[in-house]
Amino acid sequence: MIWLALALLAPLSAGLAIFAFRRAPEALALAGAGLALVGALGLIAGAARANLPAAVLPFLPDLAIRLVADPLTATLALLVAVVAAMVMIFATGYMARDPERVRFFGTMLIFLAAMELLVLAGDWITLLAAWELIGFASYLLIGFWHRRDGVAGAATRAFLYTRSADLGLYVAAFLLIGVAGTSEIAATLATTGAPALIAGLLLLVAAMGKSAQVPMQDWLMRAMAGPTPVSALLHSATLVAAGAILLIRAAPMLPGGALLAIAAVGGVTTVVAGLMALAERDLKRLLAASTASQYGLMLVAIGAGAPVAALLHLIAHSATKSALFLGAGIFQHDRDSTDLEALAGAGRARPAILAGFAVAALALAGIPPLAAYFSKDAILAAALQSPLAPWLLPAALVGSLLTGAYMGRALKALWAEAVGPTLGAVPVMAAGMGALVVLAATLGLSFGALEGLLGAELPKPPLAVPVMGLAVGLGGLALGWKVAPTRLLGPLLTPARNGFALRGGIDALIARPALALATLCERLEARMLAALRRLGLSGLDLGHWLNRGDDRTIGAAIFGIAALGLALGAGARRTDAEIIDRAIFGLVDRSVALGARARRLQSGFIHRELALTVAGIALVIGILLAAPLYL
Amino acid sequence: MPLLTIATFLPILAGLALIAVPDRSARVAHGVSIAATAATFAVTLAIWTRGVTAGGFAQVEEIAWIPAIGAVYRMGLDGLSMPLVLLTSLLFLLCAIYSARIGERAASYVVLMLMLETTSLGTFMALDGLLFYVFFEVSLVGMYFMIAGWGYEDRQRAALMFFLYTFLGSLPLLLAIIGLYLGSGSFDMRAWIGAPPLTGLAGMLALIAMLFTFAVKIPAFPVHTWLPTAHVQAPTAGSVILAGVMLKFGTYGLVRFAFQMTPDAFAQAGQVILAFGVVSALYGAFAALAQTDLKKMIAYTSVNHMGYVVIGVAVAALAAEPRIRAIALDGATLQMVSHGLVTGALFFLVGMLQDRAHSRDMAGFGGLLGRVPWLGWAFILSAFGSLGLPGLAHFPAEFQIFLATLDTAPWAIVAILAIVVTAALYLRAIAAVFLGPENEKWSAMPDLDRREMTVIVPLLILTVLIGVAPGWLIDIIHTTMAGLGN
Repeated sequence: MIWLALALLAPLSAGLAIFAFRRAPEALALAGAGLALVGALGLIAGAARANLPAAVLPFLPDLAIRLVADPLTATLALLVAVVAAMVMIFATGYMARDPERVRFFGTMLIFLAAMELLVLAGDWITLLAAWELIGFASYLLIGFWHRRDGVAGAATRAFLYTRSADLGLYVAAFLLIGVAGTSEIAATLATTGAPALIAGLLLLVAAMGKSAQVPMQDWLMRAMAGPTPVSALLHSATLVAAGAILLIRAAPMLPGGALLAIAAVGGVTTVVAGLMALAERDLKRLLAASTASQYGLMLVAIGAGAPVAALLHLIAHSATKSALFLGAGIFQHDRDSTDLEALAGAGRARPAILAGFAVAALALAGIPPLAAYFSKDAILAAALQSPLAPWLLPAALVGSLLTGAYMGRALKALWAEAVGPTLGAVPVMAAGMGALVVLAATLGLSFGALEGLLGAELPKPPLAVPVMGLAVGLGGLALGWKVAPTRLLGPLLTPARNGFALRGGIDALIARPALALATLCERLEARMLAALRRLGLSGLDLGHWLNRGDDRTIGAAIFGIAALGLALGAGARRTDAEIIDRAIFGLVDRSVALGARARRLQSGFIHRELALTVAGIALVIGILLAAPLYL
Repeated sequence: MPLLTIATFLPILAGLALIAVPDRSARVAHGVSIAATAATFAVTLAIWTRGVTAGGFAQVEEIAWIPAIGAVYRMGLDGLSMPLVLLTSLLFLLCAIYSARIGERAASYVVLMLMLETTSLGTFMALDGLLFYVFFEVSLVGMYFMIAGWGYEDRQRAALMFFLYTFLGSLPLLLAIIGLYLGSGSFDMRAWIGAPPLTGLAGMLALIAMLFTFAVKIPAFPVHTWLPTAHVQAPTAGSVILAGVMLKFGTYGLVRFAFQMTPDAFAQAGQVILAFGVVSALYGAFAALAQTDLKKMIAYTSVNHMGYVVIGVAVAALAAEPRIRAIALDGATLQMVSHGLVTGALFFLVGMLQDRAHSRDMAGFGGLLGRVPWLGWAFILSAFGSLGLPGLAHFPAEFQIFLATLDTAPWAIVAILAIVVTAALYLRAIAAVFLGPENEKWSAMPDLDRREMTVIVPLLILTVLIGVAPGWLIDIIHTTMAGLGN
């Protein structure tokens, strides 16, 4: 319980404190992220024991908030906390000169709290809430430099893409809660049959949005408009990870049909996004496309029935990709651009940083003994042993080959001959990145212990798997280094640069029809209003006629009250109703007289002495309420 | 102490007192207004501490009124009306504070507002059919003068349209009330609920009459057209009261009258009512997406949000399980409160923007977030509240409504598409008004002052509070709803 509170509330309260006090944002950010890390360590220690850390908090009747740190969620909580802490260290250097550091660090911490809430969620409402909240925090962070051109559009697009996909999670959650009668995730995973299939497919839709799977990958590429630490945290290890995490958690429930769809989406994405990364001319966007491609590989693993392999790759990818983004951030700092041409030779000017970048790149390409080597082999083994092997294995192999190719290409560009000015040291940024590089290199060592903690054992791959994995990894690197992407991609180059025309596709499929529908509604509104106006004018005439040219405003009001009185009287059908009638008509006469007086005072449409009329109305209420006194 | 009666009539008595005093300067008028609404708010807080009871009305106050026809002055509360009463007294207090800068005919303005508060509170607390109708109708007159007297450019026309529309719209309700009276021989709403007097064809006809009246008030497609016109022309406080309080007359009536007094007919017509709710929710969202006038856009989102309430109530009538019915009604009631707070805040903020720029057209702004950060962030928070972000007030309500909907009438879940459309329209408005390069035209725009902060901050706090921990409110609602319609 205390560790749960620490992991969630430390970043939240630090974030709120930054906004409240508007000072020392760096120190508070490091404290918040550090305490969250301590909390996550406590959780993982607790998750190893039988008595899991858990909490139940009241929310809605019969629908409580549940938090649970089982081996899986505690591992994810630790992963998020570690990457966040390192990125936060990096950011204190990267953002040092930004005048709005307060807003940056405050929002980053709120994002961190929401992400920890997501991984620790034990019920669907909490998961859904956290899922949307990370989307909101990501909107704020992508839009951090909101004065720049194009930033607002990128942030809006990111939120809208993911929210459209979130409908899948909404409906899946309603369905699972409805069937199981409880919102506890663990209990709903026992769902079978058609509801499980439908829910599985809906969850896939939600995961596709967050994990930027084809055809919803476009927002991630544009999200690079945000500061680089944001990309390092959100667009490599956390926000985009939510999709894969969701499917890993739901894996015990997923029936064959859903697995097939997941594998298909992952297989297509790993190839398509890999090609896009290879064709990309901007380092950050290359890394973003690569992220989509790597999450495609994870979906392949889930679809092949090996969620643990996906989890291992998620962990390995988090460390490597965030290290790569941070490296790109340092080069960006030097050259004020992330364009690969502008960055030519940026790495040679900073050999240590380039070495770290290269280690992470090789790790991602699956070169032993770096982290992703193990996870990628696990994915290839799962693909090989799955009933869908004939086409899952080629997709996974092509995805891996492309990983090597685009990483080789990026390394080549950073290494290219160019003499830059001597550069000052960036110790803080280097420290944050260095720690992640070390993790990228060594995380593989922890995988055995992790499998033990999760109680899952990966299938022993035949020898062919590591050989194939190594071959495609090295082959890809060599291709990317030696052959220009224009030649490598050939006719695919232009479509790959355009995101395979899917960008226009999504807009044409959803945004334009929605706007057209909106215009249609607006036209209908105008029609209805015009019709009403005609009706209203007839009503006006009626009021006019009733008051024989007297003031129309007052007339309409009094007409209303008089009609009410008449109706009242008619309803009563008693002789004493006459009294009421008399009372009301007396009042009406008086009000009309008052109105006439007011008209003499000022012959406007609206009277200065409105209060008199109001008093008249108040009198109506008074007379009605005082009926017992004279009846 | 008859707190319900005190809360109801305190505002109008203060208004009458203001008429009586010789000094009717703006300062005195607004002083009286703030004092009276604050006192009323305090009384409603005292009413809140007394609580509600399961299965019926609490804190009933009654005295003989028109014995000849069996009409009794009777007030009372349950878990449906209590949150609305609190919402009403809070919004009127904030409106009084916000309006303190109005100098033009301030005394008349204040009297009108106070009268509106009395009739609004009376509408939610009346337990006598006739009394309810009187409050319901007179509130309409007050709003008419509010729009006609203090509105914008085309106010007379908008006011008249509002009046005729809602006045003609409410006549069927009178027929229904007379029908209920003839069927039962009394105007006691508790009796009408306890043993619905009209069944069969009579019940269905009464239901249709009530639905018409409340659909105009809610407003539901296709009788919503008065709303955007009225909102655009109404003064800011008028818009806040109109959206925050008076639209709730419609949804309150939908539950209190249509759902509770003609339950069998309501269940029979459930699918049709549900369809109207779904169409309203979607239509309101798309129509809002087409707007460039900020105020009109927010007005249309009301059609969308109130559509969810209609969906919730219809689903409750169709639900087989009491548990699902309670979830739907809890959600529908919470949605009324959330909408009052969030939309109230949005109308206030657009009003504040209009006070500064004398324009509501999104295209004319740009980059204001750096210029007026408080105004900007308050708008962003409220907008995300309105689009249903978790952690803010609409999420728990909409979650419950949709949860019950999928369980009861799966087809109606298409209405959830509207949450993406509202997200799109709010993000577009935020991007157009607050993000991007700063528009030099507004480089002298001042940020929120203390008076404006006093108005906005409580609404934002409540929006977050209901989003994060709705228990304190939902428990009151659930006390009543758990036993409703069984």
